[in-house]
Amino acid sequence: MRETVLEVIREAVHEALEGRGDVQGAALEEDTVLFGEGGLLDSMGLVTAVVAVEQALADRHGLVVSLADERALSRRNSPYRTVGTLADYTLELIGPAAP
Amino acid sequence: MRSPIAFLLEGFARGRDAEALVCAGRSVTYGELLEAVERTRARLDAAGLPRGAVVALEADFSPEAVAALLALIERGAVVVPLTDSVAARHETFRRIAQVEWRLAADGAPTATGLRAEHPFYTRLRREDHPGLVLFSSGSSGEPKAAVHDWLPLLEKFHAPRPALRTLAFLLFDHIGGLNTLLYGLANGACLVVVEDRGPETVCRAIERHRVELLPTSPTFLNLMLAGGAWRRHDLSSLRRITYGTEPMPQSTLERLHAVFPGVELQQTYGLSELGILRSKSRGPNSLWVKIGGEGFETRVVDGLLEIRARSAMLGYLNAPSPFTDDGWFRTGDAVEVEGEWMRILGRRSELINVGGEKVYPAEVESVLRTLDGVLEVAVTGEAHPLTGQIVKAVVRLAADEEPAAFRRRMRVHCRGRLAPYQIPQKVVFSDRPLHGERFKTLRREAGI
Repeated sequence: MRETVLEVIREAVHEALEGRGDVQGAALEEDTVLFGEGGLLDSMGLVTAVVAVEQALADRHGLVVSLADERALSRRNSPYRTVGTLADYTLELIGPAAP
Repeated sequence: MRSPIAFLLEGFARGRDAEALVCAGRSVTYGELLEAVERTRARLDAAGLPRGAVVALEADFSPEAVAALLALIERGAVVVPLTDSVAARHETFRRIAQVEWRLAADGAPTATGLRAEHPFYTRLRREDHPGLVLFSSGSSGEPKAAVHDWLPLLEKFHAPRPALRTLAFLLFDHIGGLNTLLYGLANGACLVVVEDRGPETVCRAIERHRVELLPTSPTFLNLMLAGGAWRRHDLSSLRRITYGTEPMPQSTLERLHAVFPGVELQQTYGLSELGILRSKSRGPNSLWVKIGGEGFETRVVDGLLEIRARSAMLGYLNAPSPFTDDGWFRTGDAVEVEGEWMRILGRRSELINVGGEKVYPAEVESVLRTLDGVLEVAVTGEAHPLTGQIVKAVVRLAADEEPAAFRRRMRVHCRGRLAPYQIPQKVVFSDRPLHGERFKTLRREAGI
């Protein structure tokens, strides 16, 4: 499941970067910084990527998760910091019911 | 008092042999229309319809309906036109308007048992002026009923204008449809009535009846261009296309101009509450317009358009007054101003706020419509914890497509055409049409 989620995140981040004309296809490792200091995404990019992850999970896997809510925003360590932290947070929300 | 429609009937008598309406394969002359008015008069007399009665005219464009409308105005009635497009809500409309009598186009009036005693009705009766009630959709809850005095509404039709063969596209119970009708009747023009308002039917009617003027909506024009109906018919008779009721997407306007280079494209600006304003475009491809004309004044307050009109309604039957203390109507439309020109951006209430950046749905829709395979699109805001709102597009495609593939294609297309915050973050697909009976994009309904 983790690999599936990572793939969805990579695709979503590329989609968000494309919208800004950033098409060089950055290699997205687990520790690639997405948001915050030195991150790939600005705030519009982050919103786009987060919504794209939600939509892809719903479209392809029938999973309805909300990656941006009070819980996500109030965490001390932002779940949006890196590809890996976003994957962790997504898996946490999907829970053990994951296919 | 001289009958408020005497000037129309005199014109009918002068142009007796001219074609007045073409409807369901039947052609009716002005002489025959005059006879139909006389027959309706007799029916109203026989039923003892009192002056000042509030009468629902349950009809759509037809010679009989037009005759009934004129006979009711002549009788000082308050006319509440109701078409089939709102059939499911007729009862609500009759209740709100306190309808006392119902009249079908070719039947006898029947009493409803209701009494109409609203102060606006009392005022019309005291002055012995005929009235009109029009419903506007309203952004929430009950439709709002605007009460008009027919006299100021009819005033502008006294000035002669060119007689153009006109397609009756806008509905009979809509300020735009009534404007089309009266413009035609006052100038001895022929009105072509269509069975339905789909692009094929409309284009066929334009070809068959050599229609010169098409008053319509941007949504219709867009569907006509997207489906290619204009290619299959000879539309060379068209001289003018007018469009109103919603903001025109720049992309649609440009395509329209390319397809119909010789046709005059004119934006109109009309409201159920005020009547139809005349407008002048800065150029054939331009969304910048001057609106106003005799009897109308405009001003912009805090980015919002306000209008003072001689033909303004008396007020709503069922809602607070939308006028300022000095009589200006707050349209709620946000506009951009450049000297004497203005551009209508859309309803302030439909504005999407993405992290403090303002997004007008029409601008985004305009760009998405130029994407291959997109038939219709409606853009709305959706609440989002990160940016307050995000831009959501509901899209109807010509053929199925993998959602992620479409989103990708869309983002590439939007790049450079829209600012990053305007590019829809969310895309939802619909296989239902996104427009209603009136060919206006239904953002609210699409936004579910």
